[in-house]
Amino acid sequence: MVTFDYNSTEKIITAVFAGRMDYLAVVELTPILESEPILKNRGAEDRIIFDIAEVDYIASSFIRTCIMYAKQAGTGRFSIINCQPFVKKTFKISGLDEVLNIS
Amino acid sequence: MAENLKEIADEILEKAQLAAAEFHQFNQEQTDRIVEAVFRVGFSNRVKLAKRAQEETGMGIWEHKVIKNVLGTQLVYESIKNEKTVGVISYNSQTGIAEIAQPLGPILAVIPVTNPTSTAMFKILICLKSRNPIIISSHRGASKSCAETVRICYEAALSAGAPEDCIQMITSGSRDFTQMMMAHPKIALILATGGTGLVKAAYSSGNPAIGVGPGNVPVFIDESADIPFAVGNIISSKTFDNGTICASEQAIVMVDAIEKEVRREFERQNCYFLTNEEIKKVEKIAIVPETGSMSAQVVGQSVLTIAKLADINIPEGTKILIAKLDGIGKEFPLSGEVLAPILAFYSAKDYHAAINCCIDLNYLGGIGHSACIYSNNEKRIMEYAELLNAGRVLVNTPSSQGAVGALFNQLPPSLTLGCGTGGKNITTENITAKNLLNIQRVCRRKPNEMFFGFDQSKYYDESLTADEITKEYYKNH
Repeated sequence: MVTFDYNSTEKIITAVFAGRMDYLAVVELTPILESEPILKNRGAEDRIIFDIAEVDYIASSFIRTCIMYAKQAGTGRFSIINCQPFVKKTFKISGLDEVLNIS
Repeated sequence: MAENLKEIADEILEKAQLAAAEFHQFNQEQTDRIVEAVFRVGFSNRVKLAKRAQEETGMGIWEHKVIKNVLGTQLVYESIKNEKTVGVISYNSQTGIAEIAQPLGPILAVIPVTNPTSTAMFKILICLKSRNPIIISSHRGASKSCAETVRICYEAALSAGAPEDCIQMITSGSRDFTQMMMAHPKIALILATGGTGLVKAAYSSGNPAIGVGPGNVPVFIDESADIPFAVGNIISSKTFDNGTICASEQAIVMVDAIEKEVRREFERQNCYFLTNEEIKKVEKIAIVPETGSMSAQVVGQSVLTIAKLADINIPEGTKILIAKLDGIGKEFPLSGEVLAPILAFYSAKDYHAAINCCIDLNYLGGIGHSACIYSNNEKRIMEYAELLNAGRVLVNTPSSQGAVGALFNQLPPSLTLGCGTGGKNITTENITAKNLLNIQRVCRRKPNEMFFGFDQSKYYDESLTADEITKEYYKNH
Protein backbone atom coordinates (compact mmCIF):
# COMPACT_ATOMS: atom_id res chain seq x y z
CA MET A 1 0.00 0.00 0.00
CA VAL A 2 2.80 2.43 0.92
CA THR A 3 6.59 2.27 1.11
CA PHE A 4 8.97 4.92 2.37
CA ASP A 5 12.38 6.16 1.43
CA TYR A 6 14.55 8.89 2.90
CA ASN A 7 17.27 10.65 0.95
CA SER A 8 19.36 12.26 3.70
CA THR A 9 21.54 14.22 1.26
CA GLU A 10 18.60 15.86 -0.47
CA LYS A 11 16.45 15.75 2.68
CA ILE A 12 13.55 14.24 0.80
CA ILE A 13 11.05 11.79 2.21
CA THR A 14 9.33 9.83 -0.53
CA ALA A 15 6.18 7.85 0.16
CA VAL A 16 5.25 5.56 -2.71
CA PHE A 17 1.57 4.60 -2.74
CA ALA A 18 -0.07 1.85 -4.75
CA GLY A 19 -3.63 0.78 -5.44
CA ARG A 20 -7.00 2.31 -4.90
CA MET A 21 -6.96 5.04 -2.25
CA ASP A 22 -10.60 4.75 -1.24
CA TYR A 23 -12.08 5.44 2.18
CA LEU A 24 -11.25 2.00 3.60
CA ALA A 25 -7.70 2.10 2.27
CA VAL A 26 -7.16 5.48 3.90
CA VAL A 27 -8.53 4.18 7.22
CA GLU A 28 -5.89 1.46 7.01
CA LEU A 29 -3.24 3.86 5.78
CA THR A 30 -3.61 6.55 8.43
CA PRO A 31 -2.01 4.65 11.36
CA ILE A 32 0.78 3.48 9.03
CA LEU A 33 1.60 7.07 8.09
CA GLU A 34 1.27 8.26 11.69
CA SER A 35 3.62 5.64 13.04
CA GLU A 36 6.18 5.74 10.23
CA PRO A 37 9.44 6.89 11.86
CA ILE A 38 10.69 8.65 8.73
CA LEU A 39 7.63 10.87 8.74
CA LYS A 40 7.28 11.09 12.49
CA ASN A 41 10.86 12.14 13.14
CA ARG A 42 11.34 14.37 10.13
CA GLY A 43 13.25 17.59 10.39
CA ALA A 44 11.96 21.07 9.61
CA GLU A 45 13.89 21.19 6.36
CA ASP A 46 12.74 17.83 5.04
CA ARG A 47 10.56 17.80 1.95
CA ILE A 48 7.77 15.28 1.51
CA ILE A 49 6.93 13.69 -1.82
CA PHE A 50 3.94 11.43 -2.40
CA ASP A 51 4.60 9.30 -5.47
CA ILE A 52 1.22 8.05 -6.69
CA ALA A 53 2.19 6.50 -10.02
CA GLU A 54 0.44 3.27 -9.02
CA VAL A 55 -2.68 4.93 -7.63
CA ASP A 56 -5.75 4.83 -9.84
CA TYR A 57 -8.41 6.27 -7.53
CA ILE A 58 -8.33 8.86 -4.75
CA ALA A 59 -11.09 9.35 -2.21
CA SER A 60 -11.62 12.69 -0.52
CA SER A 61 -10.10 11.24 2.65
CA PHE A 62 -6.84 10.63 0.77
CA ILE A 63 -6.87 14.22 -0.51
CA ARG A 64 -7.46 15.36 3.06
CA THR A 65 -4.42 13.37 4.16
CA CYS A 66 -2.37 15.04 1.40
CA ILE A 67 -3.56 18.49 2.48
CA MET A 68 -2.68 17.74 6.09
CA TYR A 69 0.90 16.77 5.18
CA ALA A 70 1.19 19.75 2.82
CA LYS A 71 0.19 22.09 5.65
CA GLN A 72 2.54 20.43 8.10
CA ALA A 73 5.46 20.52 5.67
CA GLY A 74 4.91 24.17 4.79
CA THR A 75 4.95 26.05 1.50
CA GLY A 76 6.97 24.40 -1.22
CA ARG A 77 7.93 21.42 0.93
CA PHE A 78 5.25 19.02 -0.19
CA SER A 79 4.50 17.67 -3.64
CA ILE A 80 2.65 14.88 -5.35
CA ILE A 81 4.34 13.30 -8.35
CA ASN A 82 3.63 10.85 -11.16
CA CYS A 83 -0.15 11.15 -11.15
CA GLN A 84 -2.05 9.05 -13.62
CA PRO A 85 -4.10 11.31 -15.91
CA PHE A 86 -7.42 10.42 -14.28
CA VAL A 87 -6.05 11.25 -10.85
CA LYS A 88 -4.43 14.44 -12.15
CA LYS A 89 -7.75 15.53 -13.60
CA THR A 90 -9.37 14.92 -10.20
CA PHE A 91 -6.89 17.25 -8.49
CA LYS A 92 -7.33 19.86 -11.24
CA ILE A 93 -11.11 19.77 -11.18
CA SER A 94 -11.17 20.18 -7.42
CA GLY A 95 -8.79 23.14 -7.74
CA LEU A 96 -6.33 21.54 -5.35
CA ASP A 97 -3.46 21.20 -7.78
CA GLU A 98 -1.77 24.42 -6.65
CA VAL A 99 -2.17 23.84 -2.94
CA LEU A 100 -0.73 20.37 -3.28
CA ASN A 101 1.92 21.09 -5.91
CA ILE A 102 0.92 18.35 -8.34
CA SER A 103 3.19 17.25 -11.14
CA MET B 1 -19.64 63.00 -17.59
CA ALA B 2 -20.99 59.90 -15.85
CA GLU B 3 -24.48 61.39 -15.83
CA ASN B 4 -24.17 62.16 -19.50
CA LEU B 5 -23.14 58.56 -20.19
CA LYS B 6 -26.06 57.34 -18.13
CA GLU B 7 -28.41 59.45 -20.22
CA ILE B 8 -26.94 57.98 -23.39
CA ALA B 9 -27.31 54.47 -22.00
CA ASP B 10 -30.91 55.15 -20.96
CA GLU B 11 -31.70 56.48 -24.40
CA ILE B 12 -30.19 53.47 -26.20
CA LEU B 13 -32.04 51.06 -23.94
CA GLU B 14 -35.30 52.95 -24.29
CA LYS B 15 -35.07 52.60 -28.06
CA ALA B 16 -34.15 48.93 -27.72
CA GLN B 17 -37.06 48.36 -25.39
CA LEU B 18 -39.48 49.81 -27.94
CA ALA B 19 -37.90 47.68 -30.66
CA ALA B 20 -38.32 44.63 -28.41
CA ALA B 21 -41.99 45.43 -27.86
CA GLU B 22 -42.63 45.62 -31.59
CA PHE B 23 -40.44 42.64 -32.44
CA HIS B 24 -42.29 40.51 -29.90
CA GLN B 25 -45.39 40.71 -32.08
CA PHE B 26 -43.70 39.44 -35.25
CA ASN B 27 -44.57 36.02 -36.58
CA GLN B 28 -42.11 33.44 -37.88
CA GLU B 29 -42.51 34.50 -41.47
CA GLN B 30 -41.82 38.18 -40.76
CA THR B 31 -38.84 37.23 -38.63
CA ASP B 32 -37.39 34.90 -41.24
CA ARG B 33 -37.76 37.54 -43.94
CA ILE B 34 -35.62 39.94 -41.89
CA VAL B 35 -33.01 37.29 -41.14
CA GLU B 36 -32.76 36.35 -44.80
CA ALA B 37 -32.35 39.98 -45.85
CA VAL B 38 -29.56 40.51 -43.33
CA PHE B 39 -27.84 37.29 -44.36
CA ARG B 40 -27.96 38.32 -48.02
CA VAL B 41 -26.51 41.77 -47.45
CA GLY B 42 -23.88 40.54 -45.02
CA PHE B 43 -22.85 37.78 -47.38
CA SER B 44 -22.72 40.17 -50.34
CA ASN B 45 -20.38 42.42 -48.41
CA ARG B 46 -18.16 39.62 -47.09
CA VAL B 47 -15.07 40.70 -49.05
CA LYS B 48 -15.41 44.42 -48.49
CA LEU B 49 -15.96 43.99 -44.75
CA ALA B 50 -13.09 41.52 -44.46
CA LYS B 51 -10.71 43.97 -46.10
CA ARG B 52 -11.94 46.81 -43.89
CA ALA B 53 -11.49 44.77 -40.73
CA GLN B 54 -7.97 43.81 -41.71
CA GLU B 55 -7.04 47.35 -42.70
CA GLU B 56 -8.44 48.88 -39.54
CA THR B 57 -7.10 46.38 -37.02
CA GLY B 58 -3.90 45.41 -38.80
CA MET B 59 -4.63 41.87 -37.69
CA GLY B 60 -5.06 38.68 -39.63
CA ILE B 61 -5.38 37.97 -43.32
CA TRP B 62 -8.28 39.43 -45.27
CA GLU B 63 -8.85 36.31 -47.39
CA HIS B 64 -9.30 34.33 -44.19
CA LYS B 65 -11.58 36.99 -42.77
CA VAL B 66 -13.74 36.46 -45.85
CA ILE B 67 -14.15 32.83 -44.80
CA LYS B 68 -15.01 33.96 -41.29
CA ASN B 69 -17.63 36.28 -42.77
CA VAL B 70 -18.97 33.36 -44.81
CA LEU B 71 -19.24 31.33 -41.62
CA GLY B 72 -20.89 34.23 -39.78
CA THR B 73 -23.47 34.72 -42.52
CA GLN B 74 -24.06 31.87 -44.99
CA LEU B 75 -23.28 28.93 -42.72
CA VAL B 76 -25.01 30.45 -39.71
CA TYR B 77 -28.04 31.31 -41.84
CA GLU B 78 -28.18 27.78 -43.28
CA SER B 79 -28.14 26.36 -39.77
CA ILE B 80 -30.93 28.56 -38.37
CA LYS B 81 -33.15 29.38 -41.34
CA ASN B 82 -35.53 26.46 -40.82
CA GLU B 83 -35.53 26.64 -37.03
CA LYS B 84 -38.77 27.57 -35.32
CA THR B 85 -38.11 30.48 -33.01
CA VAL B 86 -41.55 32.08 -32.75
CA GLY B 87 -44.61 30.84 -30.90
CA VAL B 88 -45.13 27.11 -30.46
CA ILE B 89 -41.90 25.46 -31.53
CA SER B 90 -42.71 21.92 -30.48
CA TYR B 91 -45.46 19.70 -29.09
CA ASN B 92 -45.02 16.22 -27.74
CA SER B 93 -48.36 14.39 -27.69
CA GLN B 94 -46.98 11.67 -25.41
CA THR B 95 -45.85 14.02 -22.67
CA GLY B 96 -48.46 16.66 -23.43
CA ILE B 97 -45.81 19.35 -23.28
CA ALA B 98 -45.76 22.18 -25.79
CA GLU B 99 -42.82 24.55 -26.02
CA ILE B 100 -43.30 28.22 -26.78
CA ALA B 101 -40.36 30.42 -27.74
CA GLN B 102 -40.27 33.91 -26.31
CA PRO B 103 -37.66 36.54 -27.04
CA LEU B 104 -35.43 37.72 -24.22
CA GLY B 105 -35.32 41.46 -24.84
CA PRO B 106 -32.42 43.80 -25.58
CA ILE B 107 -29.13 41.94 -25.93
CA LEU B 108 -25.79 43.66 -25.48
CA ALA B 109 -23.28 42.01 -27.82
CA VAL B 110 -19.61 42.68 -27.20
CA ILE B 111 -17.50 42.19 -30.30
CA PRO B 112 -13.79 41.31 -30.20
CA VAL B 113 -11.13 43.10 -32.22
CA THR B 114 -9.99 39.80 -33.73
CA ASN B 115 -13.25 39.06 -35.57
CA PRO B 116 -15.11 42.38 -35.74
CA THR B 117 -17.25 41.89 -38.82
CA SER B 118 -17.91 38.14 -38.74
CA THR B 119 -18.83 38.07 -35.05
CA ALA B 120 -21.02 41.15 -35.46
CA MET B 121 -22.95 39.60 -38.36
CA PHE B 122 -23.21 36.28 -36.56
CA LYS B 123 -24.61 37.89 -33.42
CA ILE B 124 -26.97 40.10 -35.39
CA LEU B 125 -28.37 37.09 -37.25
CA ILE B 126 -28.96 34.98 -34.15
CA CYS B 127 -30.47 37.93 -32.26
CA LEU B 128 -32.85 38.80 -35.08
CA LYS B 129 -33.81 35.14 -35.53
CA SER B 130 -34.83 35.11 -31.87
CA ARG B 131 -36.59 38.52 -32.17
CA ASN B 132 -34.21 40.24 -29.80
CA PRO B 133 -32.97 43.77 -30.42
CA ILE B 134 -29.20 43.86 -30.39
CA ILE B 135 -26.86 46.56 -29.16
CA ILE B 136 -23.37 46.11 -30.52
CA SER B 137 -20.42 47.20 -28.44
CA SER B 138 -17.34 47.09 -30.56
CA HIS B 139 -13.72 47.00 -29.54
CA ARG B 140 -12.21 50.46 -29.99
CA GLY B 141 -9.65 49.12 -32.41
CA ALA B 142 -12.32 47.82 -34.78
CA SER B 143 -15.10 50.37 -34.38
CA LYS B 144 -15.15 51.57 -38.00
CA SER B 145 -15.42 48.18 -39.67
CA CYS B 146 -17.88 47.08 -37.04
CA ALA B 147 -19.97 50.24 -37.52
CA GLU B 148 -20.05 49.65 -41.26
CA THR B 149 -21.21 46.07 -40.67
CA VAL B 150 -23.94 47.28 -38.35
CA ARG B 151 -25.05 49.97 -40.81
CA ILE B 152 -25.34 47.51 -43.70
CA CYS B 153 -27.21 44.94 -41.64
CA TYR B 154 -29.53 47.50 -40.06
CA GLU B 155 -30.54 49.01 -43.37
CA ALA B 156 -31.29 45.55 -44.78
CA ALA B 157 -33.27 44.62 -41.67
CA LEU B 158 -35.33 47.82 -41.87
CA SER B 159 -36.07 47.31 -45.55
CA ALA B 160 -37.33 43.82 -44.71
CA GLY B 161 -39.72 45.28 -42.15
CA ALA B 162 -37.72 45.03 -38.93
CA PRO B 163 -38.57 47.33 -36.02
CA GLU B 164 -36.70 50.59 -35.83
CA ASP B 165 -33.62 50.40 -33.57
CA CYS B 166 -33.57 46.60 -33.62
CA ILE B 167 -29.82 46.94 -34.23
CA GLN B 168 -27.87 49.70 -32.49
CA MET B 169 -24.24 50.31 -31.86
CA ILE B 170 -22.46 51.92 -28.96
CA THR B 171 -20.16 54.52 -30.35
CA SER B 172 -18.61 55.72 -27.12
CA GLY B 173 -16.18 52.81 -26.97
CA SER B 174 -15.07 53.52 -23.42
CA ARG B 175 -14.75 50.67 -20.96
CA ASP B 176 -16.76 52.56 -18.34
CA PHE B 177 -19.63 53.02 -20.71
CA THR B 178 -19.62 49.36 -21.76
CA GLN B 179 -19.74 48.40 -18.08
CA MET B 180 -22.57 50.82 -17.49
CA MET B 181 -24.46 49.26 -20.37
CA MET B 182 -23.76 45.77 -19.07
CA ALA B 183 -25.27 46.65 -15.71
CA HIS B 184 -28.28 48.50 -17.14
CA PRO B 185 -31.52 47.05 -15.75
CA LYS B 186 -33.13 46.97 -19.20
CA ILE B 187 -30.49 44.65 -20.66
CA ALA B 188 -31.90 41.13 -20.93
CA LEU B 189 -28.66 39.35 -21.74
CA ILE B 190 -25.01 40.09 -22.43
CA LEU B 191 -23.38 38.15 -25.21
CA ALA B 192 -19.74 38.79 -24.46
CA THR B 193 -16.88 37.50 -26.57
CA GLY B 194 -13.44 38.67 -25.57
CA GLY B 195 -10.73 38.55 -22.96
CA THR B 196 -10.95 37.37 -19.37
CA GLY B 197 -11.51 40.88 -17.99
CA LEU B 198 -14.43 41.55 -20.29
CA VAL B 199 -16.10 38.23 -19.58
CA LYS B 200 -15.64 38.73 -15.84
CA ALA B 201 -17.17 42.20 -16.13
CA ALA B 202 -20.15 40.72 -17.97
CA TYR B 203 -20.73 38.10 -15.29
CA SER B 204 -20.31 40.66 -12.52
CA SER B 205 -22.81 43.05 -14.04
CA GLY B 206 -25.87 41.57 -12.38
CA ASN B 207 -27.47 40.77 -15.74
CA PRO B 208 -27.59 37.31 -17.31
CA ALA B 209 -24.58 36.76 -19.53
CA ILE B 210 -23.13 34.29 -21.97
CA GLY B 211 -19.47 35.13 -21.86
CA VAL B 212 -16.79 33.40 -23.79
CA GLY B 213 -13.24 33.92 -22.74
CA PRO B 214 -9.81 32.66 -23.69
CA GLY B 215 -8.66 29.23 -24.68
CA ASN B 216 -5.33 27.45 -24.45
CA VAL B 217 -5.80 24.59 -26.84
CA PRO B 218 -3.53 21.57 -26.40
CA VAL B 219 -3.09 19.22 -29.34
CA PHE B 220 -2.06 15.66 -28.63
CA ILE B 221 -0.46 13.80 -31.53
CA ASP B 222 -0.81 10.13 -30.70
CA GLU B 223 1.61 7.49 -31.97
CA SER B 224 -1.20 6.07 -34.09
CA ALA B 225 -1.75 9.38 -35.90
CA ASP B 226 -0.92 10.09 -39.51
CA ILE B 227 1.83 12.58 -38.69
CA PRO B 228 2.11 14.46 -42.02
CA PHE B 229 -1.69 14.82 -42.06
CA ALA B 230 -1.74 16.04 -38.44
CA VAL B 231 1.03 18.56 -39.00
CA GLY B 232 -0.57 19.85 -42.21
CA ASN B 233 -3.88 20.35 -40.43
CA ILE B 234 -2.28 22.08 -37.46
CA ILE B 235 -0.44 24.48 -39.76
CA SER B 236 -3.54 25.30 -41.81
CA SER B 237 -5.41 25.98 -38.58
CA LYS B 238 -2.78 27.96 -36.69
CA THR B 239 -2.03 30.14 -39.70
CA PHE B 240 -5.72 30.76 -40.40
CA ASP B 241 -6.19 34.53 -40.04
CA ASN B 242 -2.78 34.48 -38.33
CA GLY B 243 -4.14 32.52 -35.40
CA THR B 244 -6.83 34.95 -34.23
CA ILE B 245 -9.48 32.34 -33.50
CA CYS B 246 -9.52 31.54 -29.79
CA ALA B 247 -9.87 27.83 -30.63
CA SER B 248 -6.58 27.81 -32.51
CA GLU B 249 -3.87 25.39 -31.44
CA GLN B 250 -1.52 26.65 -28.74
CA ALA B 251 0.68 23.68 -27.90
CA ILE B 252 1.63 20.42 -29.56
CA VAL B 253 2.21 17.43 -27.31
CA MET B 254 3.54 13.98 -28.15
CA VAL B 255 5.60 11.15 -26.67
CA ASP B 256 9.37 11.06 -27.06
CA ALA B 257 9.13 8.07 -29.41
CA ILE B 258 7.66 10.19 -32.21
CA GLU B 259 9.15 13.57 -31.35
CA LYS B 260 11.84 13.49 -34.05
CA GLU B 261 9.36 12.46 -36.70
CA VAL B 262 6.89 15.19 -35.73
CA ARG B 263 9.64 17.78 -35.58
CA ARG B 264 11.00 16.76 -39.00
CA GLU B 265 7.51 17.02 -40.45
CA PHE B 266 6.95 20.51 -39.05
CA GLU B 267 10.31 21.56 -40.47
CA ARG B 268 9.53 19.93 -43.82
CA GLN B 269 6.27 21.93 -43.91
CA ASN B 270 8.14 25.20 -43.31
CA CYS B 271 7.83 25.73 -39.58
CA TYR B 272 10.78 27.07 -37.62
CA PHE B 273 11.99 25.76 -34.26
CA LEU B 274 13.29 28.63 -32.16
CA THR B 275 16.56 28.31 -30.28
CA ASN B 276 16.49 28.91 -26.52
CA GLU B 277 17.87 32.39 -27.08
CA GLU B 278 15.21 33.12 -29.71
CA ILE B 279 12.49 31.80 -27.41
CA LYS B 280 13.52 34.44 -24.85
CA LYS B 281 13.33 37.13 -27.51
CA VAL B 282 9.87 36.03 -28.69
CA GLU B 283 8.64 35.81 -25.11
CA LYS B 284 9.65 39.42 -24.55
CA ILE B 285 7.51 40.74 -27.39
CA ALA B 286 4.66 38.24 -27.22
CA ILE B 287 3.86 38.25 -23.53
CA VAL B 288 3.20 41.11 -21.12
CA PRO B 289 5.41 40.24 -18.13
CA GLU B 290 3.20 41.91 -15.52
CA THR B 291 0.09 39.95 -16.46
CA GLY B 292 1.50 36.91 -18.23
CA SER B 293 -1.06 37.41 -20.98
CA MET B 294 -0.39 37.89 -24.67
CA SER B 295 0.73 41.23 -25.96
CA ALA B 296 -1.62 43.05 -28.37
CA GLN B 297 1.30 43.81 -30.68
CA VAL B 298 1.58 40.18 -31.83
CA VAL B 299 -2.13 39.28 -32.03
CA GLY B 300 -3.02 38.32 -35.58
CA GLN B 301 0.41 39.27 -36.92
CA SER B 302 2.35 37.38 -39.54
CA VAL B 303 5.40 35.31 -38.68
CA LEU B 304 7.54 37.83 -40.49
CA THR B 305 6.25 40.75 -38.40
CA ILE B 306 6.74 38.78 -35.20
CA ALA B 307 10.28 37.83 -36.21
CA LYS B 308 11.07 41.49 -36.92
CA LEU B 309 9.61 42.58 -33.59
CA ALA B 310 11.65 39.93 -31.80
CA ASP B 311 14.76 40.71 -33.83
CA ILE B 312 15.34 37.18 -35.01
CA ASN B 313 16.21 35.80 -38.43
CA ILE B 314 13.98 33.11 -39.82
CA PRO B 315 14.02 31.23 -43.12
CA GLU B 316 11.94 32.71 -45.91
CA GLY B 317 8.49 31.18 -46.17
CA THR B 318 8.30 30.24 -42.47
CA LYS B 319 4.70 29.56 -41.48
CA ILE B 320 4.86 29.10 -37.73
CA LEU B 321 7.40 29.74 -34.97
CA ILE B 322 7.72 26.80 -32.63
CA ALA B 323 9.12 26.93 -29.12
CA LYS B 324 10.12 23.66 -27.50
CA LEU B 325 9.45 24.19 -23.80
CA ASP B 326 10.35 22.21 -20.70
CA GLY B 327 7.47 23.32 -18.56
CA ILE B 328 4.08 24.94 -18.22
CA GLY B 329 3.11 28.06 -16.30
CA LYS B 330 4.33 31.56 -15.58
CA GLU B 331 8.00 30.60 -15.86
CA PHE B 332 7.29 29.49 -19.43
CA PRO B 333 5.43 32.47 -20.92
CA LEU B 334 4.78 30.82 -24.29
CA SER B 335 2.87 27.99 -22.63
CA GLY B 336 -0.19 30.26 -22.43
CA GLU B 337 -2.56 31.50 -25.11
CA VAL B 338 -1.03 33.54 -27.95
CA LEU B 339 -3.34 34.40 -30.85
CA ALA B 340 -0.54 34.47 -33.40
CA PRO B 341 1.40 31.88 -35.42
CA ILE B 342 3.48 30.77 -32.44
CA LEU B 343 3.21 27.25 -31.02
CA ALA B 344 4.59 25.63 -27.89
CA PHE B 345 6.01 22.13 -28.35
CA TYR B 346 6.25 19.40 -25.73
CA SER B 347 7.57 15.89 -25.74
CA ALA B 348 6.86 13.53 -22.84
CA LYS B 349 8.40 10.22 -21.80
CA ASP B 350 5.18 8.23 -22.17
CA TYR B 351 1.47 8.42 -22.93
CA HIS B 352 0.41 9.25 -19.38
CA ALA B 353 2.99 12.01 -19.05
CA ALA B 354 1.87 13.45 -22.40
CA ILE B 355 -1.78 13.48 -21.35
CA ASN B 356 -0.83 15.08 -18.03
CA CYS B 357 0.96 17.77 -20.02
CA CYS B 358 -2.22 18.39 -22.03
CA ILE B 359 -4.26 18.60 -18.81
CA ASP B 360 -1.84 21.19 -17.40
CA LEU B 361 -2.03 23.26 -20.60
CA ASN B 362 -5.81 22.96 -20.60
CA TYR B 363 -5.98 24.35 -17.07
CA LEU B 364 -3.57 27.17 -17.83
CA GLY B 365 -6.22 29.68 -18.82
CA GLY B 366 -8.19 27.56 -21.24
CA ILE B 367 -10.54 25.56 -19.03
CA GLY B 368 -13.68 24.47 -20.83
CA HIS B 369 -12.72 25.85 -24.23
CA SER B 370 -11.36 23.40 -26.80
CA ALA B 371 -8.82 20.61 -27.16
CA CYS B 372 -7.60 18.61 -30.08
CA ILE B 373 -6.27 15.11 -30.72
CA TYR B 374 -4.79 13.39 -33.75
CA SER B 375 -5.14 9.64 -33.32
CA ASN B 376 -6.43 6.53 -34.99
CA ASN B 377 -6.89 4.79 -31.66
CA GLU B 378 -10.55 5.09 -30.66
CA LYS B 379 -9.88 4.16 -27.03
CA ARG B 380 -7.30 6.92 -26.67
CA ILE B 381 -9.54 9.46 -28.39
CA MET B 382 -12.33 8.85 -25.90
CA GLU B 383 -9.91 8.70 -22.97
CA TYR B 384 -8.43 12.06 -23.99
CA ALA B 385 -11.89 13.57 -24.36
CA GLU B 386 -12.88 12.43 -20.88
CA LEU B 387 -9.69 13.70 -19.26
CA LEU B 388 -9.64 17.17 -20.81
CA ASN B 389 -11.96 19.92 -19.63
CA ALA B 390 -13.08 21.18 -23.02
CA GLY B 391 -16.44 22.04 -24.53
CA ARG B 392 -15.20 20.78 -27.87
CA VAL B 393 -12.66 18.01 -28.40
CA LEU B 394 -11.67 18.07 -32.05
CA VAL B 395 -10.55 14.76 -33.52
CA ASN B 396 -8.20 14.70 -36.51
CA THR B 397 -9.43 18.20 -37.32
CA PRO B 398 -7.88 21.66 -37.46
CA SER B 399 -9.10 23.16 -34.21
CA SER B 400 -9.70 26.76 -35.39
CA GLN B 401 -12.01 25.80 -38.20
CA GLY B 402 -13.27 22.72 -36.38
CA ALA B 403 -14.44 24.36 -33.17
CA VAL B 404 -16.51 27.02 -34.94
CA GLY B 405 -18.59 24.26 -36.51
CA ALA B 406 -20.20 23.60 -39.89
CA LEU B 407 -16.95 23.15 -41.81
CA PHE B 408 -15.24 20.00 -40.52
CA ASN B 409 -18.09 18.61 -38.41
CA GLN B 410 -21.75 19.05 -37.61
CA LEU B 411 -21.33 21.42 -34.66
CA PRO B 412 -23.56 24.48 -35.01
CA PRO B 413 -21.64 27.27 -36.76
CA SER B 414 -20.80 29.86 -34.14
CA LEU B 415 -18.32 32.57 -33.30
CA THR B 416 -19.17 32.38 -29.62
CA LEU B 417 -18.02 29.13 -28.07
CA GLY B 418 -19.36 28.19 -24.65
CA CYS B 419 -16.76 27.03 -22.13
CA GLY B 420 -18.98 25.56 -19.39
CA THR B 421 -18.60 26.36 -15.74
CA GLY B 422 -14.82 25.94 -15.97
CA GLY B 423 -14.80 29.06 -18.13
CA LYS B 424 -17.53 30.61 -15.94
CA ASN B 425 -20.12 29.97 -18.66
CA ILE B 426 -23.52 28.39 -18.25
CA THR B 427 -23.06 26.17 -21.30
CA THR B 428 -20.40 24.34 -23.29
CA GLU B 429 -22.42 24.66 -26.49
CA ASN B 430 -21.61 26.59 -29.63
CA ILE B 431 -23.94 29.54 -29.05
CA THR B 432 -26.70 30.02 -31.59
CA ALA B 433 -30.25 31.40 -31.87
CA LYS B 434 -31.82 28.78 -29.60
CA ASN B 435 -29.62 29.99 -26.72
CA LEU B 436 -31.29 33.40 -26.99
CA LEU B 437 -34.84 32.28 -26.28
CA ASN B 438 -36.90 31.82 -23.19
CA ILE B 439 -38.68 28.53 -23.70
CA GLN B 440 -42.02 28.24 -21.95
CA ARG B 441 -43.43 24.79 -21.39
CA VAL B 442 -47.18 24.35 -21.55
CA CYS B 443 -47.91 21.23 -19.60
CA ARG B 444 -51.23 19.49 -20.34
CA ARG B 445 -52.76 17.41 -17.62
CA LYS B 446 -51.22 13.92 -17.88
CA PRO B 447 -51.56 12.52 -14.36
CA ASN B 448 -48.88 10.16 -13.14
CA GLU B 449 -50.96 6.99 -12.84
CA MET B 450 -48.38 5.19 -10.75
CA PHE B 451 -48.42 7.94 -8.15
CA PHE B 452 -52.18 8.37 -8.04
CA GLY B 453 -52.86 4.62 -8.21
CA PHE B 454 -50.59 4.02 -5.24
CA ASP B 455 -51.99 4.03 -1.74
CA GLN B 456 -50.38 7.28 -0.60
CA SER B 457 -51.12 6.65 3.08
CA LYS B 458 -48.10 4.30 2.94
CA TYR B 459 -45.80 7.30 2.63
CA TYR B 460 -46.69 8.13 6.22
CA ASP B 461 -45.82 4.67 7.50
CA GLU B 462 -42.22 4.96 8.68
CA SER B 463 -41.89 1.19 9.11
CA LEU B 464 -42.03 0.65 5.33
CA THR B 465 -38.68 0.54 3.56
CA ALA B 466 -37.86 2.17 0.23
CA ASP B 467 -37.85 -1.28 -1.42
CA GLU B 468 -41.29 -2.16 -0.05
CA ILE B 469 -42.77 1.14 -1.19
CA THR B 470 -41.11 0.94 -4.61
CA LYS B 471 -42.45 -2.57 -5.15
CA GLU B 472 -45.96 -1.44 -4.29
CA TYR B 473 -45.57 1.73 -6.37
CA TYR B 474 -44.77 -0.20 -9.54
CA LYS B 475 -47.43 -2.89 -9.00
CA ASN B 476 -50.01 -3.14 -11.77
CA HIS B 477 -53.13 -1.77 -10.21
